[in-house]
Amino acid sequence: MVGSRLWRAGLRHQRRHTWQAILSVLGIALGVAVVMAVGLANQSASRAFELTMEQISGRVSHQIIGGPGGIPERLYTRLRMEHPYLPSAPVVEGVVRIGEEQLTLLGVDPLAERPFRDLTLDTPPAVLNQLLTRRDGLLIPAYSAQRLGLQAGSRLTLDIAGRARETEILALFGGRSQAALDGVLVTDIGVAQTLLTQYGTLDRIDLALDGAQAARLRGWLPPGVQLVETEQRTAAMAGMSQAFQTNLTAMSLLALLVGGFLIYNTATFSVLQRRRQFGIMRLLGATRGEVFRAILAEQMIIGLLGTLLGMGAGILLARELLWLVTRTINDLYFALTVSRLDLAPPILLTGALLGLLTTLIAASVPAWEATRSSPQSVNRRSVIERRSHRALPWLLLIGLAGMGGGLVLVQSSERSLLLGFAALFCFIMGYCLLVPSLVPPLSRLLQRPLASAFGSIGRLASRGIDATLSRTGPAIAALTLAIAATIGMGIMVESFRDTVGQWLAQTVQGDIYVSATHSASQRASAPLPDWLPSRIQQLEGVAEISSGRHVTLESERGPVHLLAIGLASRSYRGFRFKGGTLPDLWARFAAGDLLLISEPYAYHQRLQVGDPLPLLTPDGVVSFTVGGIFFDYGSDRGLVVMPRERYAALWHDAQITTLGVYLQPGQPSGPLLTRIKQLAGQAEQPLRVRANREILEQSLEIFDRTFTITRVLRLLVIAVAFVGILSAMMALELERAREHAILRATGLTPRQLLGQVSLQTLLMGLMAALLAMPLGWLMAEILVHVINLRAFGWSMPSQLSPTILLEATGFALVAALLAGLYPSLRMARTRPALALREE
Amino acid sequence: MKRFALLLLVLLLTACQEPPKPGAELSATDLLSSLDQAGFARATQPRDFRFPQDHGGHPEYRNEWWYLTGNLQSKDGRRFGYQVTFFRFGLTPPNTIQNASSWVGNPVWMAHVAITDAHGKRHLSEERLTRAGPGLAGVATTPFRVWTEDWQLRAEGSKFPWHLDLKTRAFSLTLAVEPGVEVVLQGERGLSRKSAEPGNASYYYSYPRLRTAGTISLDGETVAVQGDSWLDREWGTSALSPEQSGWDWFSLQLNDGDNLMFYRLRGRDGKDDPHSAGSLTGADGATRRLDLEDIELTPLRWWQNPAGISYPVEWEMRIKSRDRTLRIKPLLDDQEMDHTVRYWEGAVEVFEGQTPVGRGYLELAGY
Repeated sequence: MVGSRLWRAGLRHQRRHTWQAILSVLGIALGVAVVMAVGLANQSASRAFELTMEQISGRVSHQIIGGPGGIPERLYTRLRMEHPYLPSAPVVEGVVRIGEEQLTLLGVDPLAERPFRDLTLDTPPAVLNQLLTRRDGLLIPAYSAQRLGLQAGSRLTLDIAGRARETEILALFGGRSQAALDGVLVTDIGVAQTLLTQYGTLDRIDLALDGAQAARLRGWLPPGVQLVETEQRTAAMAGMSQAFQTNLTAMSLLALLVGGFLIYNTATFSVLQRRRQFGIMRLLGATRGEVFRAILAEQMIIGLLGTLLGMGAGILLARELLWLVTRTINDLYFALTVSRLDLAPPILLTGALLGLLTTLIAASVPAWEATRSSPQSVNRRSVIERRSHRALPWLLLIGLAGMGGGLVLVQSSERSLLLGFAALFCFIMGYCLLVPSLVPPLSRLLQRPLASAFGSIGRLASRGIDATLSRTGPAIAALTLAIAATIGMGIMVESFRDTVGQWLAQTVQGDIYVSATHSASQRASAPLPDWLPSRIQQLEGVAEISSGRHVTLESERGPVHLLAIGLASRSYRGFRFKGGTLPDLWARFAAGDLLLISEPYAYHQRLQVGDPLPLLTPDGVVSFTVGGIFFDYGSDRGLVVMPRERYAALWHDAQITTLGVYLQPGQPSGPLLTRIKQLAGQAEQPLRVRANREILEQSLEIFDRTFTITRVLRLLVIAVAFVGILSAMMALELERAREHAILRATGLTPRQLLGQVSLQTLLMGLMAALLAMPLGWLMAEILVHVINLRAFGWSMPSQLSPTILLEATGFALVAALLAGLYPSLRMARTRPALALREE
Repeated sequence: MKRFALLLLVLLLTACQEPPKPGAELSATDLLSSLDQAGFARATQPRDFRFPQDHGGHPEYRNEWWYLTGNLQSKDGRRFGYQVTFFRFGLTPPNTIQNASSWVGNPVWMAHVAITDAHGKRHLSEERLTRAGPGLAGVATTPFRVWTEDWQLRAEGSKFPWHLDLKTRAFSLTLAVEPGVEVVLQGERGLSRKSAEPGNASYYYSYPRLRTAGTISLDGETVAVQGDSWLDREWGTSALSPEQSGWDWFSLQLNDGDNLMFYRLRGRDGKDDPHSAGSLTGADGATRRLDLEDIELTPLRWWQNPAGISYPVEWEMRIKSRDRTLRIKPLLDDQEMDHTVRYWEGAVEVFEGQTPVGRGYLELAGY
């Protein structure tokens, strides 16, 4: 009987404090939305990759892959002649573009496809005939066709390595709702070779083998090619973007953590506001359990509403994030088309559970608090305050232990990214528990200057914070966390960007660079015409040129990027080494027995200077020695550098991908840039000629583009934090309505009250901002030195940017001010006597 | 001729009667039946055959084949039949596509290898199907070589003997063949007309009796064999006319030295097509053309395959001019070739009354 009254009382309370309820719901909704959105976007990207690989790989158990030059197609002929009973099929694969979108062009032999893929199976004979006999026919998934507004018979212009190629869509394949193959264009192998101008070579040979056959075939294969298991290769490819995706997930969890704090806060207030009510209920015979359940149920309803709302918002948000995630994966890792959100039930369920669980944990603390006190004492505010002050040493201890535990975990978890994040969260939670203990000394510190500036109102404001620590403590802790999160992420991105900028400025030593536009091959960048270097070298004003060949070596552990360089004398400055190098580095490098590897490569492969590094060349495995480890932020997969002559000799590939032009001292770059552009214009394919500065700008642009997703996440965390601050402050001040009424009754004018409340909320905002700075900075340190290193293998100095600190402080103060506005205005409008009676 | 429209006829039939099988497997037959004739040369006039050049390919014509069948026996009397066939189907006329890709515009090759083991009462066969691509299949004149993946028919230079060295999952075949009778130009000096429509014809020559010796390996056992083979070479661009539904083709090597080839084209109306024809070549190489009036054919016994298709596997053949009546019996009823194209191709014994008078091969298509 009392129980049902408890329920009704709770309901009435929430109805009377609609704003508070709405903000609570909003807070949890935002947190859940961010987690869900990131989860769904990640999942959709991974699933799309998986499905596409599944469809493309079909029933392929093994693949024969080669070096940067692909596989000579005669190898396939030999394979068919000598192993006619091994199911095998040749594949030519390239990257093509339609506008900004990257698509995969898959060239297959329809006659050899039967054991592997069903792509060309339903194709009518007439279309198959056209596919085999025409030079420009394509098949496109019905899903992509619908998305791109194409149909059978449509002409389609593909951008292949910068050149426009006319094709015709012969037919559609797959179902209209089958998104798995979205972005995969299928054509005959001959057409693919023609479009990609890749004659005489294959990208891989697909096979369906059992273990014994695979072992036998390995023995048969000539040097320079290798047999890999499809599953392993796919997993290695999927693993490339894994660290990036884990980072996104962790950041989204941060948003939920902030949201959780928010719930805790509002739940606490809503309990505190009703301490009298609960006391009376207890006196009327409600048991502790009933009160506990009533509070919990009430908060769970809020949590449920927030979670449901968050799920809806998360799905909407995920659509936007998916695009950003896909773009970053395309920029950094591999061509992937994801046009459909995969509403995976596990993610939806996890999001919902996280929302409810966070609510449960956050609400059970104040609910337990409310039931613990005896019915008489619950009425007395001083009891609570005394108790919360008494708890401070314990909080301090637990907080310190949490932080210490986080640090220990960082040290002991070595390379694990997940444990790194766990340590980060431990550390953050520990710090948050410290906050309430730091509030009293801080408020005492601020008391004197405030009193001198604002008189008794100032004193009242600062002492009020200390006096009502049970409520201000958690509120400030929540604020601190929210602000610190934005600071930490901000510093991390800024440090990264600065480091990359400096690195680029050092690496890009040449004055003018020439390169082909994007490549159609997944293994090698598009080559420059062979006459170009000598023609440029002869130009007046050119001191010397450097050359580079960028290729990707396939391996079972995933692709390895190799840069073969012909260095100019100034290029040596472009390398900054981490730690020591072997003696006579450049002489031995030029001689060809040393390699340079980038920091991420060294980290991922656990290599050190002096270690042997075997690489697969067309003539077999050749072992090199690691001569030095250089800083490189170009690829998180890592980069291996060797002299171009050595590469050319070993890989039988004398082509050049980039040219660096070094001008004679005092030579203006303008006229030469024009001259080289004219020269490049004579090439068959479009070439890019860019001045040093242009490259720096464009590289940073790409950097910014790939970090857009991180920035968006940071904004989302800020949004959650903003709502958090708003609701915490508002709740706090509303809860003090009675106090304010007394102040009004004792003669404070509405204006003065407004001033007092605003000052107090501003003060809390300021305290939170001050406390957030060290935490934000420490978070950034962990993000930069632990998370980034483990995820990508990059080390970099962290930089404390004043802008970010000011930004965070400003935003905390604005939120705090806004939060104080409503309660004080409300109070100003209400007659004090009424307010006194109401509460 | 027989082999002439073998595929295309079957193809046309399947294309007319059955909708494409949903999702089953890539239908190479459907693909081949959709090929265009435009741009290919057509056989309209008799031509001068020149050897060994004409043993090689004629890519300007759409279809071409090298067709070897033979009857062999071991010293202890084990009887074998064998068939080795290479088919070329041009996708586009040569030189109409200029392209550096080895896969573009080149023909599709299909090869069939079969043996009939009379003692073991089994017929074993296998197929290879591939595009020419980067040397996966093709034909060369010097040295002479026709191949489809690992199977090939080749000579040391450009002359006989030709060698076969083939492996399949179940057996291998190592044979050398050499003409016992000189080349026979079929039809009108090698131009074999298939219907009234001009150009609906092919160039067709045969070696009706090739002395054959070698080994057959089966069940881990290698048996030395010898006997006679028959080579048919044919190329052209046309297909059967729509009124024709199939054919029964006989190549018989009689003990008295006569070699008889006869194909009976069947019309859709159930009647024999007037373009049915053949030849009779004596041991001295003298050849006489045969047409529908010269031969009377009567099916004596039918064999039904598991899918329910019946083939007339036993025949009575009356050669009116010689006043001989031959009875043609299969070495084995089930000599069906069930691959990309389905037909019956099998070794036969020839009797006159109760007396065995020869051996041969029988092909039944369009059933």
